[in-house]
Amino acid sequence: MTKRFTGGSHLLEVDTLARVEGEGAMRVVILDGQVTLVELRIFEPPRFFEAFLRGRAWTEPPDITARICGICPVAYQMSSCVAIEDACGVTVPDEIRQIRRLLYCGEIIESHALHIYLLHAPDFLGYAGGIEMAADHKPVVQRGLRLKQTGNALMTLVGGRAVHPVNVRLGGFYRLPTRAQLAAMRPALVRGRDDALATVELVAGFDFPEMEQSYEYLALRGTDGYPLESGSKVATSGSTFPVAEFGEHITEEHVARSNALHGRMEGDQPYVVGPLARYTLCSDQLSPLAQEAARAAGLGSECRNPFRSIIVRAVELVYAFDEALRIIDTWEGASAPAVDVPARAGEGHGVTEAPRGLLYHRYRIDADGAILDACIVPPTAQNQASIEADLRAFVQSRLDLPREELTRQCEQAIRNYDPCISCATHFLDLYVDGT
Amino acid sequence: MTGQRTTGLLVGLGNRDRGDDAVGPMVAVLVAERLNALRDSAQRDGGDVPLVRVVEQEDPAALLDLWAEVDLAVVVDAVRAGRAPGHILVLRTGAAADPLPAEPWAAAGRQGTHALGLACAVELSRALGRLPPQLAIVGVEAEGFALGAELSPPVARAVPAAAGTAWALLTESGDHPAPSCPAL
Repeated sequence: MTKRFTGGSHLLEVDTLARVEGEGAMRVVILDGQVTLVELRIFEPPRFFEAFLRGRAWTEPPDITARICGICPVAYQMSSCVAIEDACGVTVPDEIRQIRRLLYCGEIIESHALHIYLLHAPDFLGYAGGIEMAADHKPVVQRGLRLKQTGNALMTLVGGRAVHPVNVRLGGFYRLPTRAQLAAMRPALVRGRDDALATVELVAGFDFPEMEQSYEYLALRGTDGYPLESGSKVATSGSTFPVAEFGEHITEEHVARSNALHGRMEGDQPYVVGPLARYTLCSDQLSPLAQEAARAAGLGSECRNPFRSIIVRAVELVYAFDEALRIIDTWEGASAPAVDVPARAGEGHGVTEAPRGLLYHRYRIDADGAILDACIVPPTAQNQASIEADLRAFVQSRLDLPREELTRQCEQAIRNYDPCISCATHFLDLYVDGT
Repeated sequence: MTGQRTTGLLVGLGNRDRGDDAVGPMVAVLVAERLNALRDSAQRDGGDVPLVRVVEQEDPAALLDLWAEVDLAVVVDAVRAGRAPGHILVLRTGAAADPLPAEPWAAAGRQGTHALGLACAVELSRALGRLPPQLAIVGVEAEGFALGAELSPPVARAVPAAAGTAWALLTESGDHPAPSCPAL
């Protein structure tokens, strides 16, 4: 972390952001009491996933795109499956969709437990990181690790392993868990749900800076229940549109400071995806227990303070356990682990809700199943503009703070989004001048 | 966690499909083969077999549970320490030792990103009282981590020596103090 003073201007600069996934930096310039420049710089190298998907078989994106991220591979698998199944005109049966949802619950648990306890809570409790916090709050950190472990176990049971699941395929799974195997998970999930409720209680007691986001929120509306693995409509606060029209409302633009494209809504508006958007647009789809936990934590039907996103993540943690238990208790098995997804020429769209927010995939394939074109819009790329807008508003209203404290709070404001820079840099157009 | 201490643990840390990151799992295979051969021999002719559990693992965060109840753990992992590919480093630490140094190869992932690194797993375990009394990290200098690539030739050649080093650490007799690292 660096702090520089140059004449009448101030520069807040963090060369390498900590407790985020991937490599990024922050730069804020204050000139004569006005914030004149805010830059979230993402210098993690571009990864060209969309380019090297071209020419690959239609069956491959679930495995290839899962490698974009080690913490949300299920989101990539699910969005790619849904998009290609859409292109091929296939809808998976409900009994398979439920197991997809169960796997997604495992990912939400893994990801949110890690972020809440090891990446974000240290900001609120005044520690440099999770290790330092663990020394003073051993039972708290142990609870976080226990939660993550349960998420790992669920991912391993349904997905084949805890990181980069291998059991997902187009049309469903290679192998389904047995009802007995699912029932055996029940005690750990019940304990996890109790731990998640304790998590809500813990984080609700933190101190939160006052802040309200005025920009638009964007989230999938779930098919049944809170949005995770499926949905046909994307919601904003004022309207909904079909998933297939995503590209008509959301555009991506390249800015020089970032190797991740910035998402814009309706041409030029920053917008937010992620827990706050999901909660604000879909809190009515939470289970009664999760809604009750949210109310007890002081949340209304919407939440627009990004610092309170840690409470929303904790509420989503309760929901993920609650939903996993519901699926385990009601799932009656399936006649086959997957349905066929024969190739046909066409274009398909898929949206699911990754832990960090809405993840859009689009594929165009030919009659033999070769991928002609791919587009992936990850959550952190969409949130870049709103992160910068948050920082601008936040810094402007806190110029009286000591610069070091202000810089620390800016980092915290970035971590409100749980940014995944590795995901965001999956894409960059490469232009080569030549003769 | 089983609640019962076992004597030794060998963890081959890494991903088999990421080039030299597979060196940990490859060493784990050799150590497991050697243990199996010893078991067969002991069944046939008698003799002692070290009580060692061998595990392949991709996620360093899993170490927090894996080594929580063991007396001695040896973790083999690919490292970037600026040495020639295939060079073997040994770092000894343990519950009573000083924190790991902030050298690049011991600090990777320590900031606590979405994927916790080995050093983070060590220090988080230390803070939580889960670090084994004796822990040795066998690092093999890597050349590349490309998706789908095989081990590079110098790292492939180093696998038997790394397995020998791990075996020696697992079977050396008597307690030894856990010195501040790096020991070698």
